[in-house]
Amino acid sequence: MKKYLFALLVALGSLALTSHAQVIVIANSGVKATEISKNDLRDVFTGASTSLKDGGHVVPILLKSGTAHEEFLKVYIGKSDETYRAGWRSLVFSGQASMPKNLDGDAAVIEFVAHNAGAIGYIGKAAPHEGVKVLAVRQ
Amino acid sequence: MHRLLIGAMALVLGSVSAGAQSLDDLNIQIHGYATQGFLYTTNNNILTTSSSNGSPAWTEAVLNVTSQPSPKLRIGVQGRYFLLGNLGNEITLDWAAADYKANDRFGVRFGKVKTPSGLLNEIQDIDPSYMWSLLPQSVYQITSRNSLLAHYGGVVYGTLKLGQNLGKLEYRGFGGEREIGTNDGYLLNQRESGLVLPNGIGGPTYGAALHWRTPLPGFMIGASDTKITRWNSALTDGPYSGSETLYPFQLPNYFARYEKDKVMVAGEFARLPVRGQLTLTGLPATPLALDQRSWYVMASYKLTDKLTAGVYDSQSVDHQAALGVARHSFDWAISGRYDFNQYLYAKAEQHFINGTELDYDTDMNPNGLQTSTRLTILKIGVSF
Repeated sequence: MKKYLFALLVALGSLALTSHAQVIVIANSGVKATEISKNDLRDVFTGASTSLKDGGHVVPILLKSGTAHEEFLKVYIGKSDETYRAGWRSLVFSGQASMPKNLDGDAAVIEFVAHNAGAIGYIGKAAPHEGVKVLAVRQ
Repeated sequence: MHRLLIGAMALVLGSVSAGAQSLDDLNIQIHGYATQGFLYTTNNNILTTSSSNGSPAWTEAVLNVTSQPSPKLRIGVQGRYFLLGNLGNEITLDWAAADYKANDRFGVRFGKVKTPSGLLNEIQDIDPSYMWSLLPQSVYQITSRNSLLAHYGGVVYGTLKLGQNLGKLEYRGFGGEREIGTNDGYLLNQRESGLVLPNGIGGPTYGAALHWRTPLPGFMIGASDTKITRWNSALTDGPYSGSETLYPFQLPNYFARYEKDKVMVAGEFARLPVRGQLTLTGLPATPLALDQRSWYVMASYKLTDKLTAGVYDSQSVDHQAALGVARHSFDWAISGRYDFNQYLYAKAEQHFINGTELDYDTDMNPNGLQTSTRLTILKIGVSF
């Protein structure tokens, strides 16, 4: 019985790791940082912060929808799409922020991030991503 | 008339929605939302509506335009059509401001700006951003919302990192002029009894707020204090004229919120201690006294990605009022929100109200008030 439980836990653990691995965080090559903490990433993508630890200004770029978008929100932000967008609406309609750009797919995000200083986004891991840097996310 | 206004606003919202992306390319954004509510009460008519017969007289539509000419500078304006019973039915300016954010530690916003007091003041009118149909009326009275939401002046703001394992401190300082409009809910019963402030009442105000984002993820504790200086206004009562004066007072708020995964729990205490006097030529001065002590606790749980349910207990007692049912308002509410997609949502809410201190006016309840009321609210909203 213990062996089955252990196997189940290993399987669940593998699923979790696989889940984390399906989305990567990318940034414009001018962004100095090579890694970002999960808390800082959450702050940037919820509008609580507009800079990284090194002081560099960053601008979050969102996917409109899709698997990578849902996984990014689930793993790094901890919110559903509806709750996440409600949070941004609070900021927009109270005059505290502008809505981040919403782009249609991985290619559009890569294109925008590659050509705009400070841009930071996320894409599916399988998407080719020349011209941008990948930021490692620390827990 | 208001149907024409709603139609025109809907047309504008629809047409700008279609063009939103191209404007986005120019760093100009246009957003908006519209809501329609329905109220039904078992006793009494609430919020200046004829709710005991069922009332759809609760409509809002908001249009927001912002531009970001540089990464640190934003300029924006937001207008609103608001109708609630006999209140509003007009288009007003929510805010119009320029915002310069030097970095996360310091920013400044000026113009007509949202007043960052309490836990929810800045967002109390933004229906798409929360699950409740009606925020706790003890602290966030919808009939006075327009007067408390914003002021003409400025806000300085920023976030300070407190060091390892101590969290972050968000600060806001604000100052300027605020006006309680002649159509405001605070003045409603006064107006219905014949005492009219033709220009409303207002004057200088300033204050500060601190939000400590504690090391415990999702847990925030905060406090704010607003100082109102001496306010004076012309007053009429039939053939008599005179003035209404409010002496300086402070509005403290203490609050906390915990948000983690699917759970949100929050609470707030606020105090509104007002003293003043009414002076009509040839008549003895009449003192004004109000000491409203209010609090609420609320909790919500996300049952699915699209469905959220919640409950709150909201209580207010006016310690200057005579003993009786008009001294207090106790309100239990259970609420639910369903998001059909990222644009469209519906809400349903049931209130169990005891006491008549808040939300009732004389004209809509000419035969007096029952002590207890059940209020049902249905609401649908769309935003983009």
